[in-house]
Amino acid sequence: MNNMLIIGQYVPGSSFIHRLDPRTKITIIFFFVFFIFFANSLLSYGILTLFSVGSALATRIKVSYIIKGLTPVWFLILFTFLLHLLVTKDGEVLFRVFTYPIYTGAIIQGTAISLRFFLLILVTSLLTLTTSPIEITDAIENLLHPLKKIKFPVHELALMMSISLRFIPTLLQETEKISKAQASRGVDFKTGPIKERIQAVVPLLVPLFISAFKRAEELAMAMEARGYQGGEGRTKLRELKVGPLDWVALLCFILIIVALFVTRK
Amino acid sequence: MDISFKNVSYVYQYNTPFEHRAIEDLSFSVKSGSFVAIIGHTGSGKSTIIQHLNGLIRPTSGSISIGNFNLSASDKPKNLKELRSKVGIVFQYPEHQLFEETVAKDIGFGPKNFGIGDNEIMERIQQACTAVQLPNDLLERSPFDLSGGQMRRVAIAGVLAVNPELLVLDEPTAGLDPRGQQDMMDMFYQLHKQKKLTTILVTHSMEDALKYADHVIILNKGKKYMEGTPTEVFANKDALSKVQLDVPEVIQFLHEFKERFEGEITYSNQSIKQLASELTNQLKGLTNNE
Ligand SMILES: Nc1ncnc2c1ncn2[C@@H]1O[C@H](COP(=O)(O)OP(=O)(O)O)[C@@H](O)[C@H]1O
Ligand SMILES: [Mg+2]
Repeated sequence: MNNMLIIGQYVPGSSFIHRLDPRTKITIIFFFVFFIFFANSLLSYGILTLFSVGSALATRIKVSYIIKGLTPVWFLILFTFLLHLLVTKDGEVLFRVFTYPIYTGAIIQGTAISLRFFLLILVTSLLTLTTSPIEITDAIENLLHPLKKIKFPVHELALMMSISLRFIPTLLQETEKISKAQASRGVDFKTGPIKERIQAVVPLLVPLFISAFKRAEELAMAMEARGYQGGEGRTKLRELKVGPLDWVALLCFILIIVALFVTRK
Repeated sequence: MDISFKNVSYVYQYNTPFEHRAIEDLSFSVKSGSFVAIIGHTGSGKSTIIQHLNGLIRPTSGSISIGNFNLSASDKPKNLKELRSKVGIVFQYPEHQLFEETVAKDIGFGPKNFGIGDNEIMERIQQACTAVQLPNDLLERSPFDLSGGQMRRVAIAGVLAVNPELLVLDEPTAGLDPRGQQDMMDMFYQLHKQKKLTTILVTHSMEDALKYADHVIILNKGKKYMEGTPTEVFANKDALSKVQLDVPEVIQFLHEFKERFEGEITYSNQSIKQLASELTNQLKGLTNNE
């Protein structure tokens, strides 16, 4: 259970990727997600893979940890691949599983789509692995700032995000604590008939909700007591700054994208 | 229930960058029927030790035996439920685990899970309420309408209603008023004697450890720092102050008395009255000598 809780969790560090401005990272990832759909040749996939894996290594986070963090997605990737094997009917029949024909096109497409999927997840998880939730929210607030003109509640949205992010670990901790306490009173979350296991969730959820509401109330009170009245006129403790490192990263990324288009079929 | 820990270590989030060694190479044993106090600063691994006693976590290395049950990294007892019915844990802030509509139902929740019959449950609810001094007219109220202290009592009653042989208390009096703390500790001690329980108390209070425990274990940063009878452990004031722990006031007092008047009184569970008369005798002796 503990291992499941840490997927994509921020791992503090001082690598080149860690030190990038969060806005740079978000921008690059945004365009990466967009441009990945343009890859269509072996070489173009190779370039994107190189970029993603290279970035992952550059974070200096243990590879085994990143891979383990992707555990739940492996299944989806495999599933995508198998689905393609079964439904795509391009190219020649490569071989037959019993009597079911598997086409060359299916293998190629399946691999391509799974690879895309894998790269997408890998690159996005690099964001959360190397950027603290606070930085991410700050960056999003900053990037969405222009929307304020059309009365979009950017600050409120960012606040909601940062509060949720802040309390996710707290809630997880609480869940673990309460489920242990109830397990100790004889609740069995892991075995037994489905119906009983569903019922076993009640003793977990009720205390969890109660504590979440209590926390929310306390937080609201504490914020008000410290004079919080919305985003108007509020200054920032952490100013975001784009440095030379960011320009280098952006330039590299642009080169990668150019290379991508050159190597396309 | 006899308990023994042999070279137990526990690492949270093992094999991740967040790896955290909470207890390290810890060995101790607890004799059936004894009252053991575990003392240590916040984060010294007390709660981690306790979770092992119910098989909620298993040691990363080393082995533990609790009565007939054995736990180790590779060894998972199949009958965890039986273990949990024999070992009752009152967790830190146990009122956070309340969830039922009524106090009675919440107290009866544990016994029900362990397959106790309805009539017997009713009886146990009554007994548990008496034990924690919870007025009967609260039984049909919602536990969420009660005061903090009452909620704590309900939660404790819920653990007692299972009739455990080993009672584990994780800072059971934290956050109560001084009077409530005293009452609650007296109640646990009475239960301990009456039902011949084995009791493990996690506490920050040296006074409680001195007053109730037969055996004290001092933890420091996940390791056992000292162990012995309360008088043995607290006699070693210097070692304790090295890890920023105090000795109980009585012992502190006798210490200062000795320095001031060079009178020698060793503490061996005397009552305040006895101590007072010993002190007067010594002081009289001093004045007579002059
Ligand atoms: N679920 C957990 N995940 C990671 N670390 C934990 C967890 N629970 C406790 N710890 C860490 O283990 C150490 C010991 O904690 P704990 O046993 O709760 O100490 P105590 O009860 O003595 O205050 C602490 O440093 C704490 O931060
Ligand atoms: Mg604790």
